[in-house]
Amino acid sequence: MRIVKSARPIAGVALLALGLTACGGQATTSGSVGDQPVRMELREPQKLLYPGDSLETEGSEVMAAIFAPLVNYTDEGKVVDNVAESIKTSDSRVWTIRIKPGYTWHNGEPLIAQNYVDSWNYNANRDNAQGANGSFIRVEGWSDLNPPEGQPLKTKKMRGLRVIDDRTFQVTLTKPFSQFKTMLGYGVFFPVPKAALGPDGKITDEYVKKPIGQGYFKFDKPYNKGVDQVIELSRYDRFPGKKPKFDKLQFKIYTDSEVAFNDLRAGDLDIHDSLSPAAIAGAKAEFGERYLDQVDAGVGYIGFPLQFNNTYENVKVREAISLAIDRRTISETVFSGTRAPADDFINPLIDGYRANACTVCVYDPARARAQYVENNGPKVLELGYNSDDAHKEWIEAVANNLRANLGVKVKVRSFEKFATMFNDLGDRRYGGMFRAGWAMDYPSAENYLSPIFSTVAIENGSNFSGWSNKEFDSLLVKGDTAPSQRESLKYYQQADDILIKELPYIPVYFYRTNAAFSQNIRGLKINMLNQIEWAEIEKVS
Amino acid sequence: MGRYVVRRLIQAIPVVLGATLLIHAVVFALPGSPAVARAGADGLPPGAAALLREHYRLGEPFLVQYGHYLAGLFRGDLGVTFAGVPVADLMAGRFQVTVNLVVTALVVEAVAGVGLGLYGALRYGGAQDALVLGVTLVLISVPALVTGFVLQLLLGVRLRQAGVGLFPVAGIAEGWRGYLLPGFVLAASSIAYLARLTRAGLLEALRAGYIRTAVAKGLSRRRVVGLHALRNMLIPLITYLGADLGTLMGGTVITETIFNLPGVGRQLADSIHLREQPVIVGTVTFLVLVYILANLVVDLLYAVLDPRIRHE
Amino acid sequence: MSDARVPAGRGDGFPGPSGRPWPPVPPVPPGPPAPSRPASLGNDAWNDLRRRPLFTGSAFLMGIFLVMSVFPQLFTSVDPYDATTCVLAEARQGMSEFHWFGTDNLGCDVYARTVHGARNSVVVGGATAVLTALAGGSLGLVAGFRGGATDTLLSRLTEVFFAIPAVLGALLLLTIFRTGEVWTVVAALAVLAWPMTFRITRVEVITVRAQEYVVAAEALGASAARIMFRHILPNAVTPVIVISTVNVGGFVAAEAGLSFLGVGLRPPDVSWGLMIADARGRFLEAPEPLLFPALFLSLTVLAAIMLGEAVRDALAPKPR
Repeated sequence: MRIVKSARPIAGVALLALGLTACGGQATTSGSVGDQPVRMELREPQKLLYPGDSLETEGSEVMAAIFAPLVNYTDEGKVVDNVAESIKTSDSRVWTIRIKPGYTWHNGEPLIAQNYVDSWNYNANRDNAQGANGSFIRVEGWSDLNPPEGQPLKTKKMRGLRVIDDRTFQVTLTKPFSQFKTMLGYGVFFPVPKAALGPDGKITDEYVKKPIGQGYFKFDKPYNKGVDQVIELSRYDRFPGKKPKFDKLQFKIYTDSEVAFNDLRAGDLDIHDSLSPAAIAGAKAEFGERYLDQVDAGVGYIGFPLQFNNTYENVKVREAISLAIDRRTISETVFSGTRAPADDFINPLIDGYRANACTVCVYDPARARAQYVENNGPKVLELGYNSDDAHKEWIEAVANNLRANLGVKVKVRSFEKFATMFNDLGDRRYGGMFRAGWAMDYPSAENYLSPIFSTVAIENGSNFSGWSNKEFDSLLVKGDTAPSQRESLKYYQQADDILIKELPYIPVYFYRTNAAFSQNIRGLKINMLNQIEWAEIEKVS
Repeated sequence: MGRYVVRRLIQAIPVVLGATLLIHAVVFALPGSPAVARAGADGLPPGAAALLREHYRLGEPFLVQYGHYLAGLFRGDLGVTFAGVPVADLMAGRFQVTVNLVVTALVVEAVAGVGLGLYGALRYGGAQDALVLGVTLVLISVPALVTGFVLQLLLGVRLRQAGVGLFPVAGIAEGWRGYLLPGFVLAASSIAYLARLTRAGLLEALRAGYIRTAVAKGLSRRRVVGLHALRNMLIPLITYLGADLGTLMGGTVITETIFNLPGVGRQLADSIHLREQPVIVGTVTFLVLVYILANLVVDLLYAVLDPRIRHE
Repeated sequence: MSDARVPAGRGDGFPGPSGRPWPPVPPVPPGPPAPSRPASLGNDAWNDLRRRPLFTGSAFLMGIFLVMSVFPQLFTSVDPYDATTCVLAEARQGMSEFHWFGTDNLGCDVYARTVHGARNSVVVGGATAVLTALAGGSLGLVAGFRGGATDTLLSRLTEVFFAIPAVLGALLLLTIFRTGEVWTVVAALAVLAWPMTFRITRVEVITVRAQEYVVAAEALGASAARIMFRHILPNAVTPVIVISTVNVGGFVAAEAGLSFLGVGLRPPDVSWGLMIADARGRFLEAPEPLLFPALFLSLTVLAAIMLGEAVRDALAPKPR
């Protein structure tokens, strides 16, 4: 579960990418060309490299290169087994997962079922403070690892996890959940090797600097966060699936997207997948064939602080605000076409999206003004954003829209981080609207609804608005437990309709992925979740 | 001499303690939350935040925290960042970059500043002198913010695109060359001061009696200027450069931001954002020490350069 | 630390000439003979100033910026605080007869914003300079006059402030008290900059105190207040005025730097530093939104420095 946080048009979260084609299984011989690594742009990962904590765009990019997920997704969003040989259930509640033979850790140990159980127990444990924690809330026994504040833990294991043999384990959920298998491509479900855990059962300090995975690449040397400007990886030759065609991968760490773009132009970088809007105009002309522009699964919103104050409680006012935003011009001008105007809560890449579903997501300043005045909307609006990312421009543009079209005063507030803004909302130090974003964890309409808008997500999730609606919740449950995907979708769309009627958030734009690459490589493919498919890239000699 | 150094160092103790106490107090007034820093955009599980607060001693009274910090300092333990990285490791890497930057700036400053000043003084009153004055005024009035961007784009990007790869756009991947532009930007205003100091110093020296004597003796102009005048005006220049070392170390944040240098200024700015107490206090303490030592060295140099000055 | 030494440099743009007095410039060739009527120091200085192009030029510039900050309407009819004047579809246009300096990322008129940006710069520069002069000056006067424990205590305190890097101190203060208002910026800068004025005043007061006429006044039994205000202050005030004038430029630049780093002023306030920061990303595509505020900023800094210098030269004792 994750909010878009980086300026890069959301890189994928779930580390599916890696081996989209890996399940084909044919091993390719390495036609290694030179020693020069493939160099990829990265911002500094926010955390040390815990598999269950490196969920933000940058850390997860690194983890995606060294871990292989249980399942992958096709370009159409279909789920296919990857490390998993089979994932079976009869009631959507008890799931049996069997892993393929032949996978080994980078230190040579074989991959076993226990590695998954260890990792998941670690991630769900409150005392380990992992960002992955909330992803395990559906697993039976999660609440034992997350007792009420102040109470110590009585166990370190979830009773819903059971190892059957070296290659098989069973997961029991508290309630049936039809999307469980779809979820498993998300990085929070990576295993960890025995070597990662110290005698105290904690992941060691050495491991989080030089993590050992079971995927394409292995770490050459420890990465010292905050000091090193590169992360160096080399191909793991015992990887059983389709392997990358080059030996060395290097992540170069930048603090500024434009600096990286200039490095790419100068030939000092090979892949840049988070071009800033400012760089786009030049990139199209300059890179031609080596410039990628494709749809992306992320959504950008403006949210209302419904649980904290009643300034925005009138839904007619929320509608008027939505109608006053000129999504098209913002997408085209501020974002130079790197965003598309949003017209649904569900992204167009996902099964279940309906074009123009949100009828109040159009630009109609006259109606906005009339409706705002008629409903006595507040004279002063506040709009907050997190300044650790490139949100300032579009938020200022939205503020100008509101000032001009609604005739109100708009105070724009910047916060260091998204979490700071949310904390201030909770402490009543701030009471205005806020920007929010969503990068999907796995390709399911459900992932655009429950983690952001369900009642349970207020405590354990990303429901920052605090909006709560019984009908919405019950439609989600119906969707989760429905016997077929088609029926699930029907309920999810009904839930979507409630969101559109109630507008706890206003959808503003859908992201697009923009990338450019150097003449040193060809075959750059970025999958629907914004992950680079390393096995597809070839070096040009 | 030795006693003088010891006395100065003892005098420095209250300054260091005062500075750390002050910074500590300011951060204490509104501490950051490791939970927020760790959480990224997601929330942390309820309860985890409380444990983190306890781990970073955020709930404890101010003096207790400060005491723990000082105790750690004496053990050589500077604490860990909110992300779990030891502050000492972080600082070691970061200071290296800033030291490189500041040393480059000082070299640029010494060469350009003294050069400009001498040029102006030797052509006192002429058009070239006026030009030097104009250059110093521009250097001093255009803020680093502006020089940084403009030079980065003109000399960094444009020149590289034209095939001249002397100045990297940013970063330190190309070693010393990466410090040239930022070094100049950082040094710009000091170049102007140094140029004026040199010019004024030389003009004054040239009017002094011993110079007239030297000229009267029939020494060449070059010898008069190079040997007699320059040597006597060295003191203010060295003093200036030494003192600048101390201040430039703490004044790199904008330059480092523009040129993507992973130095201590940028680190401190980021930590201030997160209100990462251990990093802020540790780094500032270190910068204070650098400042004090730089000033001490300058005062000692006085005595070396000018035999009339004695430190007892 | 020896107080007499030249205070050190300013790093990258904060707070400017940071109290470092200009290195002495050789005395200018004597001007035309002084007017025949008996001249006070003030008159004398004024007559001298009027004849300096340095002074007239910088005073003229300063005057323009002052007027601009008080009556921006004289220069532009566009109100940048009115959002309807920004047309997003016309973003990043070059110079034209409608938009003399072009438009910025949000389609707002750069000329109007630059003109209106003068106010915040002038307020920060002027108010901070006055505050530091008052605070640093009066504490310096007390320390220099009283000497002893008061002096030691205050001097040690200023050393602590000197040792803390100023940009970082301001970043810290403004992050913690983040209101984004112009007076917060003024307060933060003043808190960090007063020791400079303190030091200069203190040294000057100690020097003046040792002068014979002060000793004589003391011997005659004048009260402490009389000595301080009648005899010492008027004779020690010159360097404080000079340094404060020069510092105006430093504070203006500092505000821009802090706004650039995101802790100074905030939108919808208009400030040159903010404009520069916003225009940075698209500089190659649209240079005007960065260059014009940068030009105005540099001119203000320049005017303040030259003004300070001219005043210093005029007040300096001259060979007759």
